[in-house]
Amino acid sequence: MVQLRPRVSRTPASASAMVDEGQPASEEEAEHGLLLGQPSSGAAAEPLQDDEEGDSEFDEDEAPEELTFASAQAEAREEERRVRETVRRDKALLKEKRKRREELFIEQKKRKLLPDTVLEKLTTAPQTTIKKSPGKLKEVILQKKNEECEKGSDSKKTKEKVQKVQSVGHNKSYLAVRLKDQDLRDSRQEAAKAFIQNCLYGPGTNRTTVNKFLSLDNKRLPVKKAAAQFLNNAWGTQRKQNAKRFKRRWMVRRMKTSKK
Amino acid sequence: MLAVGWGWLTDARPSPVASQLKSFWFCRRHQPHRRCRSLRMGEFKVHRVRFFNYVPSGIRCVAYNNQSNRLAVSRTDGTVEIYNLSANYFQEKFFPGHESRATEALCWAKGQRLFSAGLNGEIIEYDLQALNIKYAMDAFGGPIWSMAASPSGSQLLAGCEDGSVKLFQITPDKIQFERNFDRQKSRILSLSWRPSGTHIAAGSIDYISVFDVKSGSAIHKMLVDRQYMGVSKRKCIIWGVAFLSDGTVISVDSAGKVQFWDSATGTLVKNHLVANADVQSIAVSDQEDSFVVGTAEGTVFHFQLVSVTSNSSEKQWVRTKPFQHHTHDVRAVAHSPTALISGGTDTHLVIRPLMEKVEVKNYDAALRKITFPHRRLISCSKKKQLLLFQFAHHLELWQLGSTVATGKNGDTLPLSKDADHLLHLKTKGPENIICSCISPCGSWIAYSTASRFFLYRLSYERDNISLQRVSKMPAFLRSALQILFSEDSAKLFVASNQGSLHIIRLLEGSFKHLHTFQPQSGTVESMCLLAVSPDGNWLAASGTSAGVHVYNVKNLKLHCTVPAYNFPVTALAIAPSTNNLVIAHSDQQVFEYSIPDKQYTEWSRTIQKQGFHHLWLQRDTPITHISFHLKRPMHILLHDAYMFCIIDKSLPLPNDKTLLYNPLPPKNESDVIRRRTAHAFKISKIYKPLLFMDLLDERTLVAVERPLDDIIAQLPPPIKKKKFGT
Repeated sequence: MVQLRPRVSRTPASASAMVDEGQPASEEEAEHGLLLGQPSSGAAAEPLQDDEEGDSEFDEDEAPEELTFASAQAEAREEERRVRETVRRDKALLKEKRKRREELFIEQKKRKLLPDTVLEKLTTAPQTTIKKSPGKLKEVILQKKNEECEKGSDSKKTKEKVQKVQSVGHNKSYLAVRLKDQDLRDSRQEAAKAFIQNCLYGPGTNRTTVNKFLSLDNKRLPVKKAAAQFLNNAWGTQRKQNAKRFKRRWMVRRMKTSKK
Repeated sequence: MLAVGWGWLTDARPSPVASQLKSFWFCRRHQPHRRCRSLRMGEFKVHRVRFFNYVPSGIRCVAYNNQSNRLAVSRTDGTVEIYNLSANYFQEKFFPGHESRATEALCWAKGQRLFSAGLNGEIIEYDLQALNIKYAMDAFGGPIWSMAASPSGSQLLAGCEDGSVKLFQITPDKIQFERNFDRQKSRILSLSWRPSGTHIAAGSIDYISVFDVKSGSAIHKMLVDRQYMGVSKRKCIIWGVAFLSDGTVISVDSAGKVQFWDSATGTLVKNHLVANADVQSIAVSDQEDSFVVGTAEGTVFHFQLVSVTSNSSEKQWVRTKPFQHHTHDVRAVAHSPTALISGGTDTHLVIRPLMEKVEVKNYDAALRKITFPHRRLISCSKKKQLLLFQFAHHLELWQLGSTVATGKNGDTLPLSKDADHLLHLKTKGPENIICSCISPCGSWIAYSTASRFFLYRLSYERDNISLQRVSKMPAFLRSALQILFSEDSAKLFVASNQGSLHIIRLLEGSFKHLHTFQPQSGTVESMCLLAVSPDGNWLAASGTSAGVHVYNVKNLKLHCTVPAYNFPVTALAIAPSTNNLVIAHSDQQVFEYSIPDKQYTEWSRTIQKQGFHHLWLQRDTPITHISFHLKRPMHILLHDAYMFCIIDKSLPLPNDKTLLYNPLPPKNESDVIRRRTAHAFKISKIYKPLLFMDLLDERTLVAVERPLDDIIAQLPPPIKKKKFGT
């Protein structure tokens, strides 16, 4: 059956049952869309027929039988063709849409990119600036110095110099990195740090606390001193709060009883 | 002579930091005034400051360079310091740290080039002349744990987190990736070249691989026993390997073992169990007759190759000497021809000379322990009595306390007003602060990181202070190695790392660039020390090796250059009124140079002719600050980490027979004895470790101390050791 179906669509001389079976879904859908309340008693009610005949729905039983082979086949073929066409049209439309979108993206990308001159500068900068920067800077400084000496004589020059200074500063003031790489690198670095921390101070490394360590010397000293950190303020906070509350309540109770 | 007779006062008030704690805590941490009366020099009230909460960061790597006799030290915050071992162990250069640059490996290559690598996966080369980073190159292997330069110094190996060993070729101005060796399963934590350059050993977790350099393939994989005294422990981490020229590989691991392997057969030859904890570092001498290992317990073991019996040629490795100079993990060791060098989490750099290698038994043969940086971290505003403390990532501004009480010599005076923490200024970004300064009037603060320079204006309104950043710093002011304000706070002098000196005039809330002194033609050496004369006419600047340059600030010209001396300059100052430039060098020599006359002064000539006292020359910390007494032009005040000294130029110089360190003067001292013992050097060793000392006014001194116990209390936890009787 499955193999047969494509042949049916190509060749007109074939069983109608096949054709009917071939497109029940689309027809039914269409029918449902148009006439919802109708009881679909027949095998297949074509939408075209509905349009032509209008209210003569009750004659269905006989009439289709004569028409079947000639008209129904033709109709079916037409229907098929129409469906195929719409599909093709849809495809074309979609294609066009995609094309347009792609063009838009390209345009946007172009718009986002810096102007060509800047790009060229950026690509050439790493090799040149590193080598030249001290010299450039010196130049700038020297020019500045001259500027100070001949101050006020020429304002145009100063503007140029200021621009130069800015451009030098501009190239060095930021560093471009791909965030994806940076994240990976950071996570690896974190993992490495965790590893070394675990090796040196993790469980099973037999570490003591600074306080205990310092107390070792103190225990053997002839003159005993206080521990380096002998008070832990964080200790027993809950109990301290409870005690405070209790004291307040107790005071209030005492006051009441004394008044009486 | 400084008289002594000190005592603590009981009712001293707490510093604001420790205000939550109990009463005898105050005795440890408070900042009392001390009064010290000296018979000849009048009396000083001393602010004894102990609230500079500075903790140096731990040492991670140490690399020794035999040719230049220099030592590179990297710390956990990414700082790299260069010590000149022939210039009395002076820290002559440093590269500021960076938060993301945790250095894990450090090595020297051919032509005294210094490379470091760290957990951010980058290999960095340092520019030792301009004192900045030449370039940083990603190795693309994840975090780098180890690095080793080839014996010829032309190739560099990096061991990465992903198990790859990468070979780089060192070109004259960069490094270039050459190839990968066979990739291993786990991270490469240690690397070592065979001195012939044909093989390398790579320590990983639980095994050591031996690679053939030509083919790049692993020829042996030597599994290390995880067992620790019969108990199966965690994974065994190979912290260090060393390849000897006879093919022996020495490994140190986290199970406390030092093991000898035969690289030809891949078998274990000998096993020494040296510690209950990790053995973290190893370094072999160039002659390969001794090596040193450092353990997490803080012990350093010396191994030597000695003959089995006398007269026999058969030799074996024997553990000879243990040294316990550290309290915490020894993360790095180095072996110079004459000394063992170790550094670790406890922030000390210890240089232990080997007695059998030292030819002359002089003071150089003594143990050196370097804890504090050899530069000033504190600046002081005399007028407002403010102290500016420099930390790695922030600055603190404190107002000194004051007292109305008076007392005898040696009394501790109660504070009528506590020291006040005025300002906590955090830096933006991950870079460490290189230098900072507060102006003498107290209304400007400047500091610099490796890429940015910051200038702030402070204004005081009764109890409030407001801080305003001066924006739009010019492009040439990107990073400074030293910043200095003139005495009247109207000018700012900045030594940039390009070797130039900038003079900037400060106006109310703004600034103007006045002039730039370019470095001498042909030199790129950057200036590290600055001094300005109190009248503002002269500016002295000194680099790490060349002489001191003196500039005339009025004419904006180079005035003269003080002849270069063999040892680097550690401190500079220009005396008021006379304009004598006093220069201290790392070998403890002090010179006085008259700027107007362009020659050494008479006093300086006589002291050079006679020579300093031998005990003075044997002091092991450099003089870091020089100042002067306004009313007494004959006095020079200077200090190093363990003493404070007033040189009285009017008194006779001490010769080697006289006592240098003045003993406690008896109460009823007869004039005759006093005259006999009086000499030009008045030394007080009461305050130590002394980070800063200066004269606030004629009668007041401020001394900033940093007790070592306070530093230890803030370090990471040490290894637990059982001590008998505790």
